[in-house]
Amino acid sequence: MSVNALNYIRFWGVRGSYPAPFGSHMRVGGNTSCVELRVDGHLLICDGGSGIIPLGNSLMAQQNIKEVTIILTHYHWDHISGLPFFVPAFVPGWKVNIYGPGDNQQDIERCISGQMRDPYFPVEVENWMADVNYLKSKNSQLEYGPFRIETFNVHHPGSTFGYRIHVHGKTIVYASDDELSFIDQSIENRRDELEPQEFELIKAMQEEEREHSLDMIRNAHVFIHDAQYTPEDYAKKRGWGHSCYIDTANFAIDANIKQLYLFHADPNYDDTKIENLHRETIKLIHERGSNMDCYIAREGFVVDIDKL
Amino acid sequence: MTDKMPTIVVVDDSATSISLYQFSVEPLAVNFIGFKSPAEAIPYLQEHQPDLLFLDIIMPGMDGLSLLRHLRSFAHQKDTPVIMVTSKDYDQDRSVAKQLGAVAFLIKPLRFKEIRDIVCKHVDIKLK
Repeated sequence: MSVNALNYIRFWGVRGSYPAPFGSHMRVGGNTSCVELRVDGHLLICDGGSGIIPLGNSLMAQQNIKEVTIILTHYHWDHISGLPFFVPAFVPGWKVNIYGPGDNQQDIERCISGQMRDPYFPVEVENWMADVNYLKSKNSQLEYGPFRIETFNVHHPGSTFGYRIHVHGKTIVYASDDELSFIDQSIENRRDELEPQEFELIKAMQEEEREHSLDMIRNAHVFIHDAQYTPEDYAKKRGWGHSCYIDTANFAIDANIKQLYLFHADPNYDDTKIENLHRETIKLIHERGSNMDCYIAREGFVVDIDKL
Repeated sequence: MTDKMPTIVVVDDSATSISLYQFSVEPLAVNFIGFKSPAEAIPYLQEHQPDLLFLDIIMPGMDGLSLLRHLRSFAHQKDTPVIMVTSKDYDQDRSVAKQLGAVAFLIKPLRFKEIRDIVCKHVDIKLK
């Protein structure tokens, strides 16, 4: 897929937790979360992990775009660690809009600037010479150029957002960090204690919550979601805030997703392991009789939005 | 419902969860009010101080911890006993809840008796 396509999604960082610049990981990629959406000359960036560094460098090599909007899912390091090295923020004449979880714009600035204070970094956000604006949403919605963005809360430590992005009649959902089946196991663990009436109500509550979650992603053309673990690893890492790929695939099928991208690859998984995990996901999709397409989110991969 | 009975308020986007709480406290002499979102709850909580407030965390729009932070900015809500009840069992959320003065952080699912017991622990009430 060539980047000469005018309107596209491009993966600049797909790895979770920490960068994985190892030879065995290069087919999938080693940078942490960063996804670019470029439509009608407007640039929307999902997360500022280390993948935003090469994105920023590529922006300095062109002259047409001088404004970006960065939407952050949360402030864990793997989602903000590239921001101190995002060159456009340091260049006069650029405009950088930033949005993320927080009670107000000052909160967002505080969360961003904290990692750039002594002793953690030698250059503070006050040295950003671009026109930097911290955005406020209205009723959990933002608009930027052709993009209409809705935020929703996901299942991850701290305030963490997923984003439902509408552009050119297409819907793209980005939920990089999300633990899907936590409550299912919590209910299963207490199953034997529950009286029948309690169990009926709790099951109804579980189904209602699942439907609420499905409503956030339903019918999306592209769904980029946490698929960090195998079932074996998820059994050991339940409560770490990430999903097993099986839960992600089933969730996406139930939501009638057109294209699923398995995202937030575990840094301990090499290319072969992730490609095996992808094959298992394809098998599951076929077993469920679904037509959903499923891809590994790979660094450098480009999706033509208008052809979705 | 009388003015002398304590008021229990629940904010949870699941109507079934609200029913579960309501069913649990039915034997108790309390007033019960449920709201399905922070946006619905805030106008009431700006004017009234409940005797006990249960907050879900993952809700549409403002999450439960942000709602709690917002409520603590009201003078009459600074000491309201608040219980977080959530499907999210993460240390980061527990820590924030504790900093905001939540009296308990409970993980769903809860049983009827567990809800009744925690209400009786934090509110002086009688059985009907």
